[in-house]
Amino acid sequence: MYLEIEDLSVDLGEFHLKNINLNLEKGEYLVLIGPTGSGKSVLLETIIGFYNPTKGTIKLKNKLLNDVPPEVREISIVYQDTVLFPNMDVYDNIAYGAQKKFSKEEVAEKINKIAKKMKIEHILHRNIDTLSGGESQRAALARALIVEPKMILMDEPFSALDVSTQAKLTSLIKNVCKEYKTTCIHVTHNFNDVWNLADRVGVMKDGKIHQLDSTTEVFSRPENNFVADFVGVQNIFEGNIIEISPEVAKIEIGHGTIINSSDIYCITKINKKYKKDITKKKQHDHERIKVLIAIRPENIIFSNEKFESSARNQMKGKILEIIESGPTVLVNVAIDDHIFKGLLTKSSADILSVKKNKEIYISFKSLNVNIISDYERFNQ
Amino acid sequence: MRSKFELIFIGVTIAITLVFFVVIGSMFLIPTFDGFINALFSEEMAFAVSLTLFTSLISATVIMICCIPMAYTLARYEFPLKRLFKIIIDLPMAFPEIVVGIALLMFLGSNGIGDYLEILGIELVFNTTGVIIAQFFVALPFAVKTLYSTFNYIDPRYEFVSRSLGYGEIATFYNVTLPLAKKGLFATIIIAIARCIGTFASVLFVGGGILMKTETLAVSMYLNLSTGDIDLSITAGILLVIISFITIAVMEKYAKESYTSSF
Repeated sequence: MYLEIEDLSVDLGEFHLKNINLNLEKGEYLVLIGPTGSGKSVLLETIIGFYNPTKGTIKLKNKLLNDVPPEVREISIVYQDTVLFPNMDVYDNIAYGAQKKFSKEEVAEKINKIAKKMKIEHILHRNIDTLSGGESQRAALARALIVEPKMILMDEPFSALDVSTQAKLTSLIKNVCKEYKTTCIHVTHNFNDVWNLADRVGVMKDGKIHQLDSTTEVFSRPENNFVADFVGVQNIFEGNIIEISPEVAKIEIGHGTIINSSDIYCITKINKKYKKDITKKKQHDHERIKVLIAIRPENIIFSNEKFESSARNQMKGKILEIIESGPTVLVNVAIDDHIFKGLLTKSSADILSVKKNKEIYISFKSLNVNIISDYERFNQ
Repeated sequence: MRSKFELIFIGVTIAITLVFFVVIGSMFLIPTFDGFINALFSEEMAFAVSLTLFTSLISATVIMICCIPMAYTLARYEFPLKRLFKIIIDLPMAFPEIVVGIALLMFLGSNGIGDYLEILGIELVFNTTGVIIAQFFVALPFAVKTLYSTFNYIDPRYEFVSRSLGYGEIATFYNVTLPLAKKGLFATIIIAIARCIGTFASVLFVGGGILMKTETLAVSMYLNLSTGDIDLSITAGILLVIISFITIAVMEKYAKESYTSSF
């Protein structure tokens, strides 16, 4: 492993990082997401050496970093507001770290090279307060990369930029990191960054990493209700397993509403765990296995009539609310005591003539019903 | 078109500043021209001016050397009883200067460590050293307070970035923190010098207020007023005003220029 973080805890008085475990391969791009105040930035600043761990270890290339000062770690950081030194022009900012490592001639050569790559040749001698957001961020990236760090940490680098600049910088970062084989940890609130850049995603809350997995896994198989909610699953219901086979679990979410799930991964886990008790549990309602189920709104299909399909779940409900958001429409449908949220394009909404209080059918495949595997935590 | 709110606030500012100007300026009208010139070129006044400037510059230099690490420590580091330390440093700002003078005299005089220092041949009271010590104690808290606000205002992430780019704590402090604190540093120097020049009660106690020995401008004003020499007293006052005005004007202009040129 290139970066190994084991059981890392940090105590900052009002805030704590708790038992963080994280491994990264060389050249891997990890994106950290989570609500504000979840500890993403503190984790970055602990890796770089600004905070001392109270417990656990940080190893980079098998070297223990715990007591190594930041200036020796060879890890660069880029912040949202760039933190370019205001008393230096762009050239001096980029040269700042490089001149510590390379000769004057090498620095000049490297600055020319990276400026070309970052497309900032024309602003090298400008004061930093005359730069646009995108130019500042390019300069900050150049300053971080020119020292050829072992790792680069980015704390919401695109948050303050407009959408078009964000898109340009995303592809620039992707190419540069690939070319320099730089290992990256990138903190963001933007799911586009996750889909565009991440090899893996970490979801943080209250100083803990709740899930660390590939992008697809995190978005399609959230490990607990917080992750599910955070990654926008929207339809999360608590229910009881009333029947379970190796392929399908029937989950009652109340008032006779039964949802079928083919989340084999979790079904296998549940079967393994409750192998002996499962039949008994079926006999007593109060002892049934409680679970959470999660359905992404884009996996819900709407129709005006009942229709034959491979989808094991089909229900009739009443439209409660229609929320237009850009090219999509979020439709909330009430079924018994539950509200199912589904996404439609505007043209589909027109074809189905969705309107408030209209009765409508919703269908979704059992494969798209994820059982939250961390249900025990939820039940406690 | 200015709003009523704006006009009222500007009016209050101008009115109060004018009152200040008239009160201070009236001092210039008291002495006769001949009396002022005679007092200005007197041996006593020349001594008072040179002693005031000499001691103030020495004190301000020592204050700056001490207050930079102190202010930075209070702004950046956590340590046990930090809050108590801050209160102790700020304390002299809250009580009359005379209290600092008496406390210093008690501590440095024969009731305190004076006898021990005398054995070692060190005399810290009733001489120029005493004047410098008094100025230091009075002005230091103001300097620490000003510079603390400056360091506190500088985003520590500038230092984080510098360190991540290979610079140690000292190099980062020299290359990043101090240049970013330039404006605050100048403000602190102004405050330190102005406070040292204007220190009276503590200088009188620790320096002894000895004619032509520990007679700073402020002390000269008092001594001559008590002996009825109004011309000398008012001239010392006028000089204090002029020196303070020039100090503040020059420093502020220089601070502004160096700040804007580096940004």
